[in-house]
Amino acid sequence: MVTVAGVDELLDETGQPRPIARDLMSRLDTLGLDELRERQRATDLEILTMGITFTVYSDGENIDRAWPFDIVPRLIAGAEWEQVDRGLKQRLRALNMFIDDLYNDRRIIADGVFPADLLDDSANYRPECEGISPKFGVWAHISGSDLVRAGDGEFYVLEDNLRVPSGVSYVIENRGVAKRTFPELFEREFVRPVDGYTDELNKMLASLAPEGRSNPRIAVLTPGIFNSAYFEHSFLAQRMGAALVEGADLMVGDDDNVYMKTIHGPERVDVIYRRIDDLFIDPDVFREDSTLGVHGLMRAWKAGNVAIANAPGAGVADDKCVYAWVPDMVRYYLGEEPQIKNVPTYRCMYDDERTYVLDHLHELVMKPANESGGYGIVIGDRASEEALAEVRRAIEHDPRNWVAQPILELSTAPTLVEDGLEPRHLDLRPFVLTGAESYVTPGGLTRVALQKGSLIVNSSQGGGSKDTWIVDAPFEADADDGVPTESQSQSQSQSQSQSGAG
Amino acid sequence: MVLLSRVADRIYWAARYIERAEDAARVLRSFGDVLADIPTHGIARWNSLVAVAGSETVLEPEDGSDERPVVHFLIADPDHSNSILNTVESCRENLRTCREVLPREAWQTVNDLSIYVRSTAATSIGRRAREAFLMRVVNDSRRLDGVLTVAMTRDAAYEMWRLGRYIERGDMTTRVLGVRAATLLQLPPGGHDEFAEVRWMSVLRSLSALQMYQRASPGPIDGPDVVRFLLFDHQFPRSVAGCLAEIRSSVLRLPANETVLHMLERADRELKSCRPAADDGHELDDAMDRVQLSLAGLHDALAARYLRF
Repeated sequence: MVTVAGVDELLDETGQPRPIARDLMSRLDTLGLDELRERQRATDLEILTMGITFTVYSDGENIDRAWPFDIVPRLIAGAEWEQVDRGLKQRLRALNMFIDDLYNDRRIIADGVFPADLLDDSANYRPECEGISPKFGVWAHISGSDLVRAGDGEFYVLEDNLRVPSGVSYVIENRGVAKRTFPELFEREFVRPVDGYTDELNKMLASLAPEGRSNPRIAVLTPGIFNSAYFEHSFLAQRMGAALVEGADLMVGDDDNVYMKTIHGPERVDVIYRRIDDLFIDPDVFREDSTLGVHGLMRAWKAGNVAIANAPGAGVADDKCVYAWVPDMVRYYLGEEPQIKNVPTYRCMYDDERTYVLDHLHELVMKPANESGGYGIVIGDRASEEALAEVRRAIEHDPRNWVAQPILELSTAPTLVEDGLEPRHLDLRPFVLTGAESYVTPGGLTRVALQKGSLIVNSSQGGGSKDTWIVDAPFEADADDGVPTESQSQSQSQSQSQSGAG
Repeated sequence: MVLLSRVADRIYWAARYIERAEDAARVLRSFGDVLADIPTHGIARWNSLVAVAGSETVLEPEDGSDERPVVHFLIADPDHSNSILNTVESCRENLRTCREVLPREAWQTVNDLSIYVRSTAATSIGRRAREAFLMRVVNDSRRLDGVLTVAMTRDAAYEMWRLGRYIERGDMTTRVLGVRAATLLQLPPGGHDEFAEVRWMSVLRSLSALQMYQRASPGPIDGPDVVRFLLFDHQFPRSVAGCLAEIRSSVLRLPANETVLHMLERADRELKSCRPAADDGHELDDAMDRVQLSLAGLHDALAARYLRF
């Protein structure tokens, strides 16, 4: 069963190109399908040769796979993006204040805005972090929020990834590849560049260094080559001129400083951008059996001798259950209305909401609170009866671990598949940096479900990617319908219509 | 710039593996080449190549004298750790974990070569297909050096690359001399083998040394002179003395290098002691074993000082 087609990013309801996409679609038309296929082939080959890869765990021997990329870009109007940019910065400010509050004063609980018992069995709450207040009060320095455009034409935040979000390297690589695939389009369009991210990341990380450390030394801590995002760890280290280290490359001295093991002897490290889960970073404090971490790292962090990004414990706020409270956090901490929407979320821990969920399994998406990568998600209208029975049992057994949301009609964009250009569902993961100031990538990683009708966009489960273009200016002058920007025309015409997500 | 010991280790080994692949390719090419000049196939001893590759024990003896099994063993055998298939892959796997310190084109070169080798090694055993394959390996290995030479800062990481290259290269020169040259010298003097000159040319070619040797020693090719050239000519970059000189210049640019320099001096002394062996096949084989041991000692000192923490 396939849901009714939602909004398409590039085409309007009549199948005509939207103003921002006119140039692109007419160009694709002129090139023709054979030429597009040829360019797709050339691009696939380039990705293979450049070694842009991701790694799949469960794939037997072939662990290192070429990154899947669809050459047709996904376009978003600059004016609409400004709104998203503001909304995400606001959201991350509030989330960081929330984390800092939880590990310190817990005002939000005292004021009755957030239920205390939610923390008791949170898998990502780290009591070891209580009483710590990192620089700028920021815990989630690097986050990736998954957005979808629903049937009403609006962007919604589907989830916040505050632990070790990945994908930003592919944003940058996709752009490099796209420029060579469609050089003629980049001459005409004003596409916001994405290359600046690593510089911003570098600056933000450097700003976290302990006081008095000029020219701070930054290290990217990776679990190693078998991690699915190893390519990215290496890419980011390379772009920042940082050291790429594994746990065994670091040690903590008796002086509680962190050192790298170099051919020159021990060299002090000031900032660690960790890309391993916090349960593994220090076997003295968390999992004893971790071979990926560094003995004494938490001690060094607590002593203020090293900054860790993201801070251990930051994951408490990307719990899919905590998600439901984010709009309240924005209001509570900032006294503002949220500028980017949350998907309505039923929390199975509450009897009335759980009863509703169990009565409406067919209409909802059920999500386990502490899984990532799309694992464990059950989509009610396409799951088998056995799968629904199983999720019902799981919810009844452990209601705290489950939330449910309406099935969103994810937007689509034309994608080059076997039969030509066809609409495929997609989402968007912009990356947000939060330090003393905030930064949002222009666009982000567009992931596309290559299977017809599928809503699963994760690359670990057969999803692809697209280059994401935030386009400014000239298309407005061409727009003969007199509508100033794409986003405004769309929100005006569709704000009336209600959808399951509204 | 600081260099992690682990990264130093990976770069060093990547360099050794790609040099090993290139050397194997060159030796195979020159051996195939000399066969074309020698009418009787019976006297071609393919198994001596296995000895040059340092892998004598792995191949079944009955396969050792035929061309195809030996070539397959050296190029495409997935179970032979020093097959070109595996050394190229090992180079790639090592570089994959230190991409952040190398120029990007370096990684792309080896990645590209690895894709090529994986897809064509098994079908590159026959003489015609083999030539293109071996050329590609040699050329890409040199391209990799070229990229690093023009695009990489002369820091400790670069020295690790050079050290891996020259230790492996020096080792290969001693093995070519110890196996092939030693055999040639053992032939009774007086022109019993009318193909001696062709064979000596092949020895030189297998180290890309023919042209430079001829410039240094005009006239007919003289066996002992070839040996002396390949051992002692400081100016030739594949001679053992040349490799040791390059190793010295790298070690001198590294921090706290005393133990390594000490082992390097021992290797120098060991090499000098080989001078009388240049005329005597039996002696040469043993002498090359001693030089190989001193290179292994040098490797151990390097590893203890820089590659392990």
